[in-house]
Amino acid sequence: MPDLPGSDARPLLDVAELRTTFHTAVGPLVAVDGVEWSLSRGARLGVVGESGSGKSVMSRSIMRLLPKSRVTSTGNVSFDGIDMMSLGRRELLEMWGPQLAMVFQDPLGSLNPVMKIGKQVGEGLRVHRDLSARAARSAALDLLEEVGIPEPHRRIDEYPHQLSGGMRQRIVIAIALACSPRLLIADEPTTALDVTVQAQILDLLEAERAERNMSLVLITHDLGIVAGRTDEIIVMYAGRIVERASTKTLFRDMKMPYTEALFRSIPKVTDDSHARLEIIGGQPPTMTSLDPGCKFAPRCKYAQDLCFAEEPALIEVPTPSPARSRITGSDDDGEPDVGADTHLYRCFYPVGTDDAAEALERNIASGRVSEAGVVIRTD
Amino acid sequence: MAGSGNAHLRPDALLSARDLVVEFPAAGGRTVYAVSGVSLDLAEGETLGLVGESGCGKSTTGRAILQLPRPTSGTVQLAGQELTELDEDAIREVRPRLQMIYQDPISSLNPRRRVRDIVAEPLFIALENVSRRTAMAVWQERIGELLQSLLRRAAAPLRIVGRLASVAFVLWILSETVEDRAAEGWLGWTQVPAAIIGFPTLALLLLAGAIALLGGLIWVLLAVMLPFGLMSRQFGEVSSAVGLAGVVVTTGASAFMLWRTWSSFGGWAKWLNSGGLILLTAVLAVWLVLSLAKPERAGASGVATTLSAMVVLQVFYVAGLDGGIKLAVLVASAVVDALLFRWVLRRYRVNRDAERERAEPRVREVLEYVGINPDDAMDRRPWEFSGGQAQRLSIARALVSVPQVIICDEPVSSLDVSVQAQILNLLEDLKNLMGLTLVFIAHDLAVVKNVSDRVAVMYLGKLCEVSEPDAMFEEPAHPYTELLLAAIPQPDPEAELGSGRIGGELPSPMDPPSGCRFRTRCPHAAQRCIDEEPEMREIAPGRFVACHTPLVGETAPVRVETASASRGES
Repeated sequence: MPDLPGSDARPLLDVAELRTTFHTAVGPLVAVDGVEWSLSRGARLGVVGESGSGKSVMSRSIMRLLPKSRVTSTGNVSFDGIDMMSLGRRELLEMWGPQLAMVFQDPLGSLNPVMKIGKQVGEGLRVHRDLSARAARSAALDLLEEVGIPEPHRRIDEYPHQLSGGMRQRIVIAIALACSPRLLIADEPTTALDVTVQAQILDLLEAERAERNMSLVLITHDLGIVAGRTDEIIVMYAGRIVERASTKTLFRDMKMPYTEALFRSIPKVTDDSHARLEIIGGQPPTMTSLDPGCKFAPRCKYAQDLCFAEEPALIEVPTPSPARSRITGSDDDGEPDVGADTHLYRCFYPVGTDDAAEALERNIASGRVSEAGVVIRTD
Repeated sequence: MAGSGNAHLRPDALLSARDLVVEFPAAGGRTVYAVSGVSLDLAEGETLGLVGESGCGKSTTGRAILQLPRPTSGTVQLAGQELTELDEDAIREVRPRLQMIYQDPISSLNPRRRVRDIVAEPLFIALENVSRRTAMAVWQERIGELLQSLLRRAAAPLRIVGRLASVAFVLWILSETVEDRAAEGWLGWTQVPAAIIGFPTLALLLLAGAIALLGGLIWVLLAVMLPFGLMSRQFGEVSSAVGLAGVVVTTGASAFMLWRTWSSFGGWAKWLNSGGLILLTAVLAVWLVLSLAKPERAGASGVATTLSAMVVLQVFYVAGLDGGIKLAVLVASAVVDALLFRWVLRRYRVNRDAERERAEPRVREVLEYVGINPDDAMDRRPWEFSGGQAQRLSIARALVSVPQVIICDEPVSSLDVSVQAQILNLLEDLKNLMGLTLVFIAHDLAVVKNVSDRVAVMYLGKLCEVSEPDAMFEEPAHPYTELLLAAIPQPDPEAELGSGRIGGELPSPMDPPSGCRFRTRCPHAAQRCIDEEPEMREIAPGRFVACHTPLVGETAPVRVETASASRGES
């Protein structure tokens, strides 16, 4: 990997005003609406949201993996100064692998079933590094060993179906890492896997990231996964960023009711057995016919008339803890603090404020929300 | 773990599975030891969480309890009734009391059926079970099963014979124009090439073949569309005597045509040619009678195949007849077929409507229980629902027959966390409302803890630990449980990422380790774990573990009084 000076203050990836629209039979569907964030070298970003929140479409828009017909992406995506949106097919092929790589949810679906594992792992090296078949094979062997495949000498000549789900995901990671990308986007990398294997895969991703000083975007629906493994978290809803903060700030001081609701719906091992889970009532919005106002309002226990009438802007709160300056690159402990100075959210009645408490009381009084804090009428 | 032993079982359980063993044959004469001596029990109103990695046999255990498939050995008792000894029919009668919810809600619901029918289905099976079963019906089923298995084995050769027969038929029709059939009545196989050569143009031959093929396709299409899913299980009832008569008439007509054809035969060759057909027709006719009498046994496609085969054969015989009789029989068999098909359709509709009407109030009730508005949902199809809603439909289907036990196999694993919470709360509510007894299979310990009254941890076909959840999660007794707990992602950035990790992969269930099955990945494994399989024993009241060196309690064998006393309580 190129040795990059730590003093380089420019973020590795800068996403601005990214908007992706699918032109469907029932009208335009804005899957990603004006998303803005940046990621420093070696930093770890978590993207959290329910199915349909636009998190996967966002990552594919950044990677430029979406089909050309009936989809339009606008905005700026700058990867190390290169404007991703202006690249042609040939230039993108140069980028995928050595610069950006991706790990998808379903390992079986992202591997070629009729190609031996070794060949799939070495393919990128042969294309990007002009390695010979022999050199690519030995590099593939090293990679398999690195991602923890037992008996790599035997496994290299096997086919994907001969491996377990966890092993397959390791292969996919080996393929993604083959050309030492500077940014790895992992889209629900462990959703199809068991908890034990999930922990192994997340550990592996973290070890590889730290060793290669790679940036990592971890997309998931589970706040538990990103809690210990990211520096910053973006929470998405209806194609928008609804909250963005450093991981510690987000969990300590979440402002967006949606984030709070997501957090509370997770069953926790520390809770007693049969503890009542807080649910998010209602359904995610129909993306082809969005109402004005906050998109989460119909499911929000704090929502007031204002929330239904006007969409709140993404605003910044000062972090209550001593503001830390933006540090780029990894520091000594390999855990960079990135963007820890910004905490953005999109709400008129942020969680934890008196306004929110009053709003909740009013909703309970009007019968919109039950005593237990569950939205009864999703109007 | 993985040990055996029944110390954790209780005498008063509603469902009790003892020493379940499930083995599957694998390639090369090897055996997959999927479940090796698992014993579980459930008290009424209890939720048993069954947890472990993929491939540990937890789903197989759940299915073995349902007898899907039957366990290789072991016993399963539901309210004192032994399930492993029941025959297929008796199991069907038990199923309404023992239901299942699957992991993937969309693929476990038939996309072509409406919600009202999907949810009502277990009720129909329950209703059918109370209908009279005569000795005749049993006899029919036995013969039917035998024939069905024969037919299944003969399906491929039959198809080839069918194709050859239709080719021969086309050739025969064509040859009629060039050969004098008056003396013969039927063209011998040896004369077929002569007929082809004698035919003026190949083009005409191809045209005729295309027409025959098209006709055949239309027949098959009709035959498939008609009985697929349309056959009502009410056929077997006395009211269907009219229908049976219709089938008998068709069979009689076929037999008549058969006789006419046979009697018009001259030489040996022809007798041989038709001998196979006679046999086939006889089999098909008997089979059709039986399958129409009990269509749900035959399976829709079986009935479709039989019907279409009958029609093909009818055409054959008609073609083998002479002059005026040929026309008369053709018309007669067409009329009989039309009447039969019409009767099938009408029977179906009448029964279906009546069944629906009877089931509707109950279907509405359960849909409301699971939080789905019946007015909106009843006439929609499963794919019109989101994953969470579809899982609610699965739950409604499982509830409709008022089961005593529901086995939930990873019911929330494919759902988003927010939806997962809704489903978990729903199951909890339903349990309190209806006194359900659940087996909850999952790999997520946090989920299992949330719903369970008792948790059983499985590893490679054996039980590791059975305990009440709060104690187990507070202080795991089995090393495997401890490592599973460490793997759970905590929604807290300050929490330490679990330090202990289970290294490596699950060993192959075809070649499980000796002694304790977990020893290859266990941080505490000793020589004793290789030599000796640990037995399930009580290490604290209500806590059972199969480990030589449990992490909780004394490692010495448990005192007898404690064990018996606590078992008496529970």
